[in-house]
Amino acid sequence: MNKRLLWVSALVVGLGPAMSREAGAQSKEVVFGMQCDRTGPTEIVGSVACVGMHDYVDLINSKGGVDGYRIKLIDIDNQYKVPPAVEAFQREKEAGAVTMAIYGTPQVVALAQQCNDSKISCTSPGFGISASADGKRYPYVFPIAASYWSQAAAAVEYAKQQLGGSLKGKKIAYLFYDNPAGREGLPVLQDLKASEGFELSEFAVPPPGLDANAQALDIAQRTRADFVLMHLFGRAPSIALKALKGNGYPLRKVIGFVWASAEADIEAAGGFGAVNGYNTLQFAGVGTDYPVHKEIAAMYAKDGKAAPKEMQSTVYYNRGIAWAALHVQALNNAISAKGGAAPNGEEVKRGFEAIYDFTLGGIVPPLKITEADHEGGGYVQVWQVEGGKLVKKTDWYRAYPEVVQKQIKMAEK
Amino acid sequence: MDLGFTFLLVANGILIGLMYALIALGFVLVYKATDAINFAQGEFVMAPGIVAAVVAGAANSFWLGAAVAVAAMIGFSFLLERTVLRPLLGRPVIAVIMATIGLAAILRGTLPMLFGTSPLPLALPLGDEPIEVGSLTLQPAQVAGAAVALSALVIFTWFFRSNRGGVAMRAMADDQQAASAMGVNVTRYFAFAWAMAGVVSALGGVMWGAMLGVDVQLALVGLKVFPVVILGGLDSIGGAVLGGLIVGVVENLAAGYIDPLVGGGTKDFAPYVLMVAALLIRPYGMFGTRRIERV
Amino acid sequence: MFHREAGVFKTTYAADMSLFPLPVARKAIAVICVLLVAFIPLVCSEYQLSQFNLIFIAVVGALGLNILVGYTGQISIGHGAFMSVGAYTAANLAVRLDLPFWITLPAGGLMAALIGAAVGVPSLRIKGLYLAITTLAAQLIIEWTINHVPFISGGTQVSIPVPKPSLFGFQFETQRELYFLLLLAAGVATIATLNLVRSRLGRAFVAIRDHDIAAEITGIDIFRYKLLAFAISSFYAGVTGVLYTYYLGIANYEQFQIDVSIDFLAMIIIGGLGSVLGPILGAAFVTLLPIFIRGLMQSMGGLLMNENTLAAVIPNLRLTLFGVAIILFLIVEPEGLNRLWRNSRNYFRFWPFSY
Repeated sequence: MNKRLLWVSALVVGLGPAMSREAGAQSKEVVFGMQCDRTGPTEIVGSVACVGMHDYVDLINSKGGVDGYRIKLIDIDNQYKVPPAVEAFQREKEAGAVTMAIYGTPQVVALAQQCNDSKISCTSPGFGISASADGKRYPYVFPIAASYWSQAAAAVEYAKQQLGGSLKGKKIAYLFYDNPAGREGLPVLQDLKASEGFELSEFAVPPPGLDANAQALDIAQRTRADFVLMHLFGRAPSIALKALKGNGYPLRKVIGFVWASAEADIEAAGGFGAVNGYNTLQFAGVGTDYPVHKEIAAMYAKDGKAAPKEMQSTVYYNRGIAWAALHVQALNNAISAKGGAAPNGEEVKRGFEAIYDFTLGGIVPPLKITEADHEGGGYVQVWQVEGGKLVKKTDWYRAYPEVVQKQIKMAEK
Repeated sequence: MDLGFTFLLVANGILIGLMYALIALGFVLVYKATDAINFAQGEFVMAPGIVAAVVAGAANSFWLGAAVAVAAMIGFSFLLERTVLRPLLGRPVIAVIMATIGLAAILRGTLPMLFGTSPLPLALPLGDEPIEVGSLTLQPAQVAGAAVALSALVIFTWFFRSNRGGVAMRAMADDQQAASAMGVNVTRYFAFAWAMAGVVSALGGVMWGAMLGVDVQLALVGLKVFPVVILGGLDSIGGAVLGGLIVGVVENLAAGYIDPLVGGGTKDFAPYVLMVAALLIRPYGMFGTRRIERV
Repeated sequence: MFHREAGVFKTTYAADMSLFPLPVARKAIAVICVLLVAFIPLVCSEYQLSQFNLIFIAVVGALGLNILVGYTGQISIGHGAFMSVGAYTAANLAVRLDLPFWITLPAGGLMAALIGAAVGVPSLRIKGLYLAITTLAAQLIIEWTINHVPFISGGTQVSIPVPKPSLFGFQFETQRELYFLLLLAAGVATIATLNLVRSRLGRAFVAIRDHDIAAEITGIDIFRYKLLAFAISSFYAGVTGVLYTYYLGIANYEQFQIDVSIDFLAMIIIGGLGSVLGPILGAAFVTLLPIFIRGLMQSMGGLLMNENTLAAVIPNLRLTLFGVAIILFLIVEPEGLNRLWRNSRNYFRFWPFSY
């Protein structure tokens, strides 16, 4: 019944700004806008992660909201296209959103300027503009998770450990999606190639990446790489994993970046048994062993409903939780800083920049977001496929922060 | 030049090329018999793939899944021909192109609503172990796909050459009015041609599904169809297979030897460049009927 | 328009071909102009204006594509790429040479026209399907080129930020300010198209569409006119790309991929091929369809299913209905929304004597 009211009111709010102001005045409410992609090229991610975001917000609301404020989540599907993303941004802004989760790299690129102009904090965990870690240059864009630069650095660090502590003379293969996001790791790798002394060979997989046999063959039999860093999206990761395995390359020496590392990729590559040993980078905790999971399950149980099946796809679902949780935490910080009054966009920005020591039972990395650093440190964990599940291999870590910083400085010019 | 590596690239190209041919066959069958252009060929492969995976998963039987997928595609093709394509007969080519694009959107929208978005596995009853032939490792799904493509080539070549129905279809493609005057039931054969394309697409969907797993994104293989059919000739069965082989080999060689030079993925790009060149020199393809009007 | 036309007699061809066929049409147009220029920006919110803005940009591209597809009978599945050509030309000029908006806008259009004409060259030899596939290839080849040539793309991000547009010393920043700029662009594009299609050029295009060989016999240089159609249409596309770039403040090739080409084709099919009003209605239809479905589903669907299911159903339903709309218009009303509008107008024209 309550949910119905919520939806009806969401529609009413959408229909007219005048009405939305009234609705906002009646109950204590903060508006959190999100975008999602459930039909476009990244639907594999969106159709799971967005469920996690909804569930977390529902959980907070079921517990009375943030400091007495109910969170109104407005979810608009942008189809991974830019014009609908612009429309969604304007609509959510109209509805009074003080913070927004933007979905998709081209969409963040297109909206970054509007986020700044409108003073609305926009987040893009694990995608978007790597250089937006620089809070001075992008005051209202928050990557709030390891950028592709940090991921590349972390992957090299992991390879170094696995190859016995030194990369001197080793062959590292970078298997990447041939689009701007895929190529973004390259400058960091080239930098590290010089300082660590490894050989770097690049293998581009053109979108949509439905065949990667030639690249896998090259990696396994011509280049004979010592380690593979795999930065792929969509269906490409599972296909590349199959191809690497099919050409006899040991998956223990493959590490996938954050969008190549979900259960869905593993299932599509033939299941956990088939890709045993595959390493994955994660910017949120994996598995269901977190208190917040139990709370969400309890919330569904209390309503007499079955928990959504997306909850089992823990990689993306947990990222959805972590993503929403960081927004909620920022709102929380902003409201407390203001002594309980409703925050505006600028105050939520400072709320984000006050995030420290917030891990939600280990599902969120120990971010320290500051005015200068909107990435929060660029922490990741490595989880490995082992015995039919993902097993935590490392704790939260970051690597070569100075190399990543150098890129951020260079992007400024 | 590493000869062993080149050999492996070419072998890979041939295998994947036969898989491309399997998709292109459905396109060619429709074009050959009805002059219609199917821009939804990728979705025609994706949809039965999903159906097969869902049924096979529920009934725990690959063969049942494949059979249901084929049957569903036959029914779907008849329905489609009757409701969408027949009213568009005689309309400009853009009408059919847009209708199939609309159809593609419908399939991509409805299937996830019915079956969800996560990729579904579809296992061939052949096991998953790579088959080793000398230095070559072959995926069972690819071998099966190649076998299906080659047998489809043989069957359809025979059909169009020797079977009464096939000859009628050729006559129909040549001149609808004349064929009709000679007693060919044009509407019936139109529907029949679409159904045949449906069957081949269903087989393609099952094979590709077995190779990659199925979800909506599988429809993107449809973009491969165009270089294949243009290179081979739009209305030639043998041409589709040869076009598939050319595209498969070219893109593997491009990935192996051009990519390191240009620092980018040329795998999907190279076949399109080759296709444009072919269009300028020999627009009717390797084996296609010369039927280009010059104005 | 809402008017009667009794008592108007045309005695010259010039009168029959004029922009406003009836004196009363002038008044109707004037009312619409006042509405668009004065009324809407006053009463509408920023969000509603942003929808108008997206429609205005789409109108320019749809009008251009319609010149090629609707009037000349050629096909292009590469218009998304032509837009990106315009976008990157303008962005590079704006950033590297610091050129103002009023130069980069036509420059982007001209570069797109050049590339478009080059893509149109094969249209002399091939038509129908082959042309469709050639333009599809152009789409992919242009995308690849922008993606891999840093000179064009401006670096690994393949996106170039541009300053806000300014004209006559005025800088357009908010949605409300941009509204006037984009309205002007859409208005100019509409008037230009109206004049184009009733000129010698437009008649030549229609002749080629209706029967190319007959057109050639009557003395129309088909090659020249087909290329012109490609060039003009691509010019519009290039301008559309420039407008998107300045509207968003950034040029990014990922927003001009093949699905954009398809969206624009859908606009002119749904709006009605070979008319000027059609693409305008089509652009509005395709832009507003997802917004409408979302509104409808959120008010109705909430009663039937839970929030998460609803959120998953809405986009898929949108995609399905988009396809259904294309097919329905193709089969039931091939002349699109334009024809529906004319039908209803004719009904009222004869009302109450509808026979």
